[in-house]
Amino acid sequence: MAFRDTLLANLSVALASTNVSVSSELPFTAAGVALYDKNMKKLYIDAEQNATTELFSTLDYNDVFQQEIIINGYLTVDAKNQPSDINTVISHVINSRLSVANCYLRECGVTNDYTEDRNTYTFEFRFLTI
Amino acid sequence: MAYIAVNSTANFVRLDLNADGVDYSANVDAAFESVAGLANVLTVPALQEVTVNATPGTFNWQQLDSLSELVVTTPSTNSIAVTLVLDPTTFFGNVGSTQGIFTTTNNKTETYFRLYWQGDDAGDRYIQGKGYLSGIAAAVSPGAPVWVSPMEILVNGSYAVGTV
Repeated sequence: MAFRDTLLANLSVALASTNVSVSSELPFTAAGVALYDKNMKKLYIDAEQNATTELFSTLDYNDVFQQEIIINGYLTVDAKNQPSDINTVISHVINSRLSVANCYLRECGVTNDYTEDRNTYTFEFRFLTI
Repeated sequence: MAYIAVNSTANFVRLDLNADGVDYSANVDAAFESVAGLANVLTVPALQEVTVNATPGTFNWQQLDSLSELVVTTPSTNSIAVTLVLDPTTFFGNVGSTQGIFTTTNNKTETYFRLYWQGDDAGDRYIQGKGYLSGIAAAVSPGAPVWVSPMEILVNGSYAVGTV
């Protein structure tokens, strides 16, 4: 299962009893408005960004490569009336990184940005695997 | 002049080991070229660094009728140091009668080695001899999550130089 699919599956369960839902759509922009701005209180998970770098170089081309996968998630809420359980939601989203197996590094950072009366949380998942 | 390049496809530095318990002292070539010997040759994969040490010992002294120090040689200390990414098959498994690198080291089994400097095409150079595997210090960490280890061959006697 792809990393994004794993995250979506985990988040669908984890956020089921909260005020935030999960969309399986990509966070594309329609008519100049990002889906997560249009559909507030809905979490969108972006496509995977994948980079492969050399971890160990060897003399016989048995090199060891490291794969880095970065996935962004977006959630917009009303800045004046945030969901009462927003902290729980953020905690669940951050913890969903642990649902991805076979990685030696599973990180998630969150930032937020205000646009007018909207507060957009951006989650950055980062996974490293061999 | 030319270089001993090791970055050409299929022309690698290659370290072969044979620790099958047979005494090849009279003909080390047989450990790597005879049918029986070849069946027990373990090629060490994923070498990262190779250092060949050939250091004659010396004894220096001074005497009153000489303005400079005098020196004579004493027996050499020879060794080959490598670092490698560990491969479970060659580290723990056997190739014929040659046990894996870890077991050979642990059992202090005398090991015949042949180091190809550039590959094994016709005309390529190698050195060979016998010795003991030593210096295993396998390490792993969250930032480098693959086992990597140095290894040293403590050479018992002199190197022999050959051409493929």
